[in-house]
Order: sequence, then structure tokens, then C-alpha cells
Amino acid sequence: MIPREGSFTSPLRHERLTARVGSWLGVCFTICFATGLVSHWYYLDLPVVPPTRPVQGYRVTQGLHVLTGIAAIPLLLVKLWSVYPRLFAAVPWRDARALVGHGLERLSVLVLVAASIFQLVVGLANAAQWYPWAFGFRAAHYAGAWVAIGALLVHVAVKLPVIRRAYAAPLDDERSDAPDRDGPRRRTVLRAALLASAVAVVANAGQTVPWLRRVSVLAVRTGEGPQGIPINRSALAAGVTDTATDAGWRLTLVGPDGEESLTREDLLGLEQHTHELPIACVEGWSASGEWSGVRLADLLDRVGLPADADVLLTSLQTRGAFGSSRLPASFARDDLTLLALRLGGEDLDLDHGYPCRLIAPNRPGVMQTKWLTRVEPAEDVAT
Amino acid sequence: MRALRLLLGAAGVAATAYGALLLWRLDLADLLDALLWLAAGVLVHDALVAPLTVLGVLALRRVVPVTWWTAVTVGTVVLLTVTVTAAPVLGRFGARPDNPTLLDRDYLGGWLLLAALVLAGVLVGVVVGRRRRRVARHPDQRVRLRR
Repeated sequence: MIPREGSFTSPLRHERLTARVGSWLGVCFTICFATGLVSHWYYLDLPVVPPTRPVQGYRVTQGLHVLTGIAAIPLLLVKLWSVYPRLFAAVPWRDARALVGHGLERLSVLVLVAASIFQLVVGLANAAQWYPWAFGFRAAHYAGAWVAIGALLVHVAVKLPVIRRAYAAPLDDERSDAPDRDGPRRRTVLRAALLASAVAVVANAGQTVPWLRRVSVLAVRTGEGPQGIPINRSALAAGVTDTATDAGWRLTLVGPDGEESLTREDLLGLEQHTHELPIACVEGWSASGEWSGVRLADLLDRVGLPADADVLLTSLQTRGAFGSSRLPASFARDDLTLLALRLGGEDLDLDHGYPCRLIAPNRPGVMQTKWLTRVEPAEDVAT
Repeated sequence: MRALRLLLGAAGVAATAYGALLLWRLDLADLLDALLWLAAGVLVHDALVAPLTVLGVLALRRVVPVTWWTAVTVGTVVLLTVTVTAAPVLGRFGARPDNPTLLDRDYLGGWLLLAALVLAGVLVGVVVGRRRRRVARHPDQRVRLRR
């Protein structure tokens, strides 16, 4: 009942096709891995922090991360299809040396396939905020990324002679390339895989590329929302609907010169700045808004915070992760970094962080802390 | 080439080992759950998706006329793989009552539109392929056929 490698007779399944689909998949995985590292950088407490420019930087890298991951799914499925017979390849039981080599190669492919499928499935579900598993997403996705990229490198090293041989020959050999031959050729399958990949990208890209919104029928978001911007965590989910609208709300500033409590009216009475800045989420969607509010640097000066101090911003939120964020000094002192009070000319929507939220350039959305209650030097907090 | 292969292989083993170490550092419950999902992906593909694809192709080849194979292959690859990427939004598993900005499209409608486009593409492909084949078989009749 179990087939052998030779049971699969389609001439379409061939190393020449596999190598070419694999190359495209390798490009996607490499971009996905590199942009994933950029994103992970924000979560690390390294001496070298991400730059504050370009303003749209994270929007581009994270958009690419999610879209190259989506592009990889059709390519991976076609590639696995093209090598499926290898799963049933004969095992050289009698030759110990060959057996070890065979076993190691199978193990490396198993690790590669397992990690690849895992990364794409988990990433895709996370982008739609679907968490059917128990493990923490970020830690597992990060570990899986290293396993996948490492197994990919091993696989390329093992297969390099085959890849060279495959590229040295035309994709379709003459017999199968004859114009009167019926049915698809390898070229057809390669183009179908690339087309599928492109369609998947266009069907999703509208979540971060505004002019594609209308055609991206499978995008996780239309890009619409209160005041023209989608939300990730609502005030209700964060448990702040009462505290954020309480007349007794104050923003507490803490610094070497003491403590200061400001009402929203106090903040509105300070010098206001307006900047066009994106909200760019780890899930790959992004939207640009016109934020108005107080420059964070001005507030830090009021309580005498030194220019090289990192800042801890704490939210009112009582539920969920990211209730506070550590803002490196370079971001805290950036001219574009605001404690926003208004969005698009209106008072900030409650779901966007009313009464007051952080908005800084080139920074993941989850770290643009909403419903702020306290701003203090990060050193004061035991970590 | 030998040096390049050794270099790639060594870098690959090091990166995989680092990834494995990161996995190992997860809580035991998280680690077991992650391993379960790692294994499940391979199993679902190798024991379910791939065999069903093989059987599906065999069935299609019986039903679909030979001249349609190329167009149907392209259409099937595009529609099926793109549908896989759309599974989370089609199922709306992550939808939350407090956040109407998430999963705020008519995904079934969008998918049907996509399927209709793919179907139209397949039909166009069949017509174009048939004409091209006729021209290839009878190049001397090209002028007459064009008319």
C-alpha cells in the first residue's frame, strides 16, 4: 500500500523545477528572517537601539516580513509537492556508511520542513490574531526562525551540486518541451507557483499599502477604523474604559527635579505639535495618521530628565501585555516623538489611547503605549 | 565549492543549534506545545495534504480533457494555495466583539471573487492554448486560422 519513490511517474516532479522553486523560496525566507530580526531588535535590551529614521522604517520591514511569509506559502507547497516521492526513497539498510549519510540528510530535511511549516502557520495565524496554541508566540516564532534558517543553510550546502546541475540544464528538456505535447510543462508549474505567490501578496498587501486596499480581498484589515486608523487592543479589552475617562485622570511626570501631575487641559495648554506618523503593527498592517500633542522632550525637560535617559511609559491598562514600554533616549528626545492628544483634528478616540498616548517614529505599534498615566526615567525601575 | 559547502553547512548547524537552544529555554509546557505543533505540521502535510493532492490530480486527469490540463493546473495551484493563506481570515477565528477593525472584510465574498477570476483565467487559458496548439501543428494554415 505504501508507494515507492518510483511509483510517482510525473515528469513534472524534477530537480530542475525543485531547484528553481526552492531559489524563490530561499529569497522569501531570507527577507522574512532578516526583517524578523529587525522586529525582534526592538524587544531586546541591547546597548545599540534601533534608529529613529526612516520614519516609515518599521512599517516597511514588518510589512515585508508578513508579505514574504505569505508569498512563501504557495512556493513551499509546490516545492514539497515536487519532492514528495523522496519521502519514499529506498533506505540503504545494508551499507552502514550510506545509512548514516541517508539518515542525517533525512533528519536535516525533517527539521527544515517542520520548522518551515511551523513558522508560516504560526505567523499567518498570529497576523489574524488567532492563537490556537498555548505557547508564547514571540519566543517560539523567534526560536523557530533560527531553526528554519539554519536548516535551510544546511539544506543548501547538502544540495549545492544538485542545484548547480539543475540550473545548468533547461527547465524543460526538449522532448517534453515539444509544442504539440499535451498538458503542463515544468515551466507551467513554476509560473503557476510564482503567480500564486503574487496573487497571495496582492490579496493581502492592502493592509499596509493604502492604494491596494480595494483589491486586497483577503487582508486582515481594510485599514479603516475610528479616526481612519485600525486598532489592535480596544479600551474594553485593556480594561481602561472607566479609568481613561475619569475626570480625575492625571499624567504623572517623574524626574530628578521632582514630580508633576498634569491634567489633559494642562497638556493641551502646552506647545502643540502635529506630525504625520504611521502606526505599524507586528501583525504587518499599518496606517498613517496626523497626530497632535505635546513633544515628549518638552515634558522630560520640565522635570529635569537628562537627555541621555531612557524613559519608561506606563499605561492605565490592567489586562494584556505591553502595559508599559521602555523608550530609548534617542526616541524620547526625537522631535517627532509626541504624547498625542488628538488624531486627525479630533480628540483621540478612546480606543486610540485617550486621554494621551505615545507616538514615535519607526517603532512597532505595540510599543506606542496607549492610555498613559506615568512617565519616568527607566533607570528608576528595577528590571 | 567544497569550502563554500562546508561554510554554509557549519553556519547552518550553528544557527539551528541556537534555535534549538532558544526552544529548550521555553517553559516545559510551552516547549511541549511547540514540539507538538512542529510535528503536526509535517504530519498533516505528508500524511494528508500530499496524498490528497496526488489522488486529486489522478482524479482530475480522468475527468478533465487533455487540452485543459495546463490551464486547470495553473488555476488549481493558484486557487488552492492562495486559499491556504486565507484560512485564518475565512474562518474568522481571531475575530473579537470589541474590535470591529479586525477581520472587517467580507472574506467569503472576496474569495468567491478570486475563484471567479481564476475560473475566467482557466477558460481564457484553454481557448488560447487550443488555438496555439492548432497553429503549432499546422503552421502553414496560420493565415487561414487567424481569419
